[in-house]
Amino acid sequence: MNDSSKLLLQRIVRRIPVQMLKATLDKWGRLTVEQRQAIDFTQSKWALTQKLLSFCEENGVTLTQLAELEMIHVIENPNQGMWYTFQLLDPENDAQSLELTQFKQQFKCHLSELLRQVSVKIKKHTDEAVWIRIAWGGSFTKPNHLKPTYVVHHLQTPYFFVRNLTSKLKPLLSQALTLATRHQGVKEANLSGRNLTSIRDLLMRQYQQMFPTKYPSPHDEEDQPVLNQYIEKEQGHVATHRRRMAREVFGDGTLPQLQSAVYKLDTKFKDPSNKTMTEREDTFKCVVKFSSINLLESLRSCASSGIASAPVTPLLSSIPLKGRNYFVVTDNTPGPSSQRH
Amino acid sequence: MEPLGESVMRTPHNGAVVQRRSKTRSYRLSYRSCLGTTSRLGPTPALTTRRLNASRRAAKPQNLTERVDPEHLALLVKSEWQLSYVTPLYQFRHTQLKSYSRQLSAFIVAERQQGLAVEVSELQSSYRVSLSVLQGLTESENDPETVLIQIHSKPLFAKQDEPQKSVWSGLLTCIHGSPEYLRSLSKDFTCLPLFGSRGPEYLSRVVKTWFQKTFDCCFGPLEINHTSLQWFVALWVDCHSQSNIQHLRMLWTVPAEPPLQIMYTVDPQDAWDLWNSVRKEEAAKGAEEVGCIELQEVSGYLEALKSHFYRHFRLDLSSGILKQVSTALGSAKDTGRIKMSNSRHVIATLTLLTECALLKMPI
Repeated sequence: MNDSSKLLLQRIVRRIPVQMLKATLDKWGRLTVEQRQAIDFTQSKWALTQKLLSFCEENGVTLTQLAELEMIHVIENPNQGMWYTFQLLDPENDAQSLELTQFKQQFKCHLSELLRQVSVKIKKHTDEAVWIRIAWGGSFTKPNHLKPTYVVHHLQTPYFFVRNLTSKLKPLLSQALTLATRHQGVKEANLSGRNLTSIRDLLMRQYQQMFPTKYPSPHDEEDQPVLNQYIEKEQGHVATHRRRMAREVFGDGTLPQLQSAVYKLDTKFKDPSNKTMTEREDTFKCVVKFSSINLLESLRSCASSGIASAPVTPLLSSIPLKGRNYFVVTDNTPGPSSQRH
Repeated sequence: MEPLGESVMRTPHNGAVVQRRSKTRSYRLSYRSCLGTTSRLGPTPALTTRRLNASRRAAKPQNLTERVDPEHLALLVKSEWQLSYVTPLYQFRHTQLKSYSRQLSAFIVAERQQGLAVEVSELQSSYRVSLSVLQGLTESENDPETVLIQIHSKPLFAKQDEPQKSVWSGLLTCIHGSPEYLRSLSKDFTCLPLFGSRGPEYLSRVVKTWFQKTFDCCFGPLEINHTSLQWFVALWVDCHSQSNIQHLRMLWTVPAEPPLQIMYTVDPQDAWDLWNSVRKEEAAKGAEEVGCIELQEVSGYLEALKSHFYRHFRLDLSSGILKQVSTALGSAKDTGRIKMSNSRHVIATLTLLTECALLKMPI
């Protein structure tokens, strides 16, 4: 085994926690049953690496097969690193009937045309997602397997999620994907997060939503503990209404985990008591960043407790509605929801 | 109307009625603002009725490089300080600093032998403590000179001529402390109410213990409260014309479930224009002294920023807690951490902090 294979194996073993290592190796299937039984998982990672190195040398495992091992682990644990979303635009007529084999062929073909030295691995996961692992090389350098880019795409949807892509290589990937999926353009979807399942659920609306109804069923209302009967008599109705509105905007039950939302505000400062600023020609520029371990739940609790006044402002409700967490807000479009999509 | 000097220094520590300006409107507002600040600071001791200043001189950037040793200045602005307040020190002499250095070294060694000042990962062979006077910082004649404490150490297996590294620094200072209070102390007491420390926690603890034993004083954590953080915003934004603040960043935490953090960054030019407009509006309401910043201007400024936020997000930032304020001139956190990044504004920052420390002291 050459040096790059050894390095890759070392890195993989270092990255995977010991509890998951056994299952991942079993799934990989490149080691024989005896070899797998001979590994003692209570040893230190260094000892494990040495053992695995010797087994891989015995079996003649190649670099691409090692890459497969890494890919299995990443597919099982997608919620690490930072994922960025892109949207494909202007589908052609046959975009809807795209098949997996066709896509795989086209993508590999287009990417190798653009960049000679590139190593691509495509796998289809059980939940209809297509995972692509790309190791990039240069014109004269071999593909670097230590910094691979991962792309996740659901066929027939216009979105794909990317992790670990440098800005230099972005146009190449965009072009290859656009052509392979039979679209004509691609743009940034302004949604990023650490948790892939969450951003995917948010985008595809795969969380428990609550739709506005005129006659709310009693099952929808959870039993809120009544603290004080007098407060309940006065405020109970208002509080229930607030909670329901918060749930309509942000959803019910567990919400997808977003870590932050960034708004770049470039609007005029309007304050009737401050004549100087109101007459000013320039806009008031500021950036607001909301962050939390689960942003949507925080916002929902703000809305239901009244910290955020009801009805929830379009700026905040756009996060679940449009599936974005980066916004540039200007005064251009008239109306309360002045934002550029 | 009172002369300028008296209206700026307004921290009596006896029960006498505080002198106010003759304008009824500002009387009402500043009295209310004083009540507001004391109620936020918790139980006010019955003996003193000191209040946080409701009006403050606008900070003039001062070029300290002529007055202060550049190495000392570099130490001040290098990184964050963790703040505490100190009660007046009994029989502390600036002339005996060398002897104090030796005593503190010996104390640290004794503590280590008892196993109290040891950090598991570090195996330092020897500590060398040096207390020195940081000359040039104080301006008024009532303020005692600032004392700088530094602890150097050499790693266990170092060569003979390898220089010792500074592992801990401390600062005891009093800048523009209330002259009435300072004059009221007896001659035996030295008032250096602001203590800043930078370095491992175990060393801070040892130094504080030594001071408490030797000078019969008391240390306590100095949190920077909401009003002081607002003052920092105003003082720093006010300096934008002389030194570019590059941004005004404020961090709020809102009590949602799970807690929500809001970071509000404002473009420097817009922050400056808004500040000037707020001052103009307040000046139009009633004539004020030139060069003085009033508390109502400061709170008006923050209210304006919050209302701009509310107009977009319909979320009232007053429901949250202001945790951190930072510009290119420095950053202040409500846990009592301060960083002064620009040496020209060190005096203004330390003045505000000295006042906070004097106010928080239990005596």
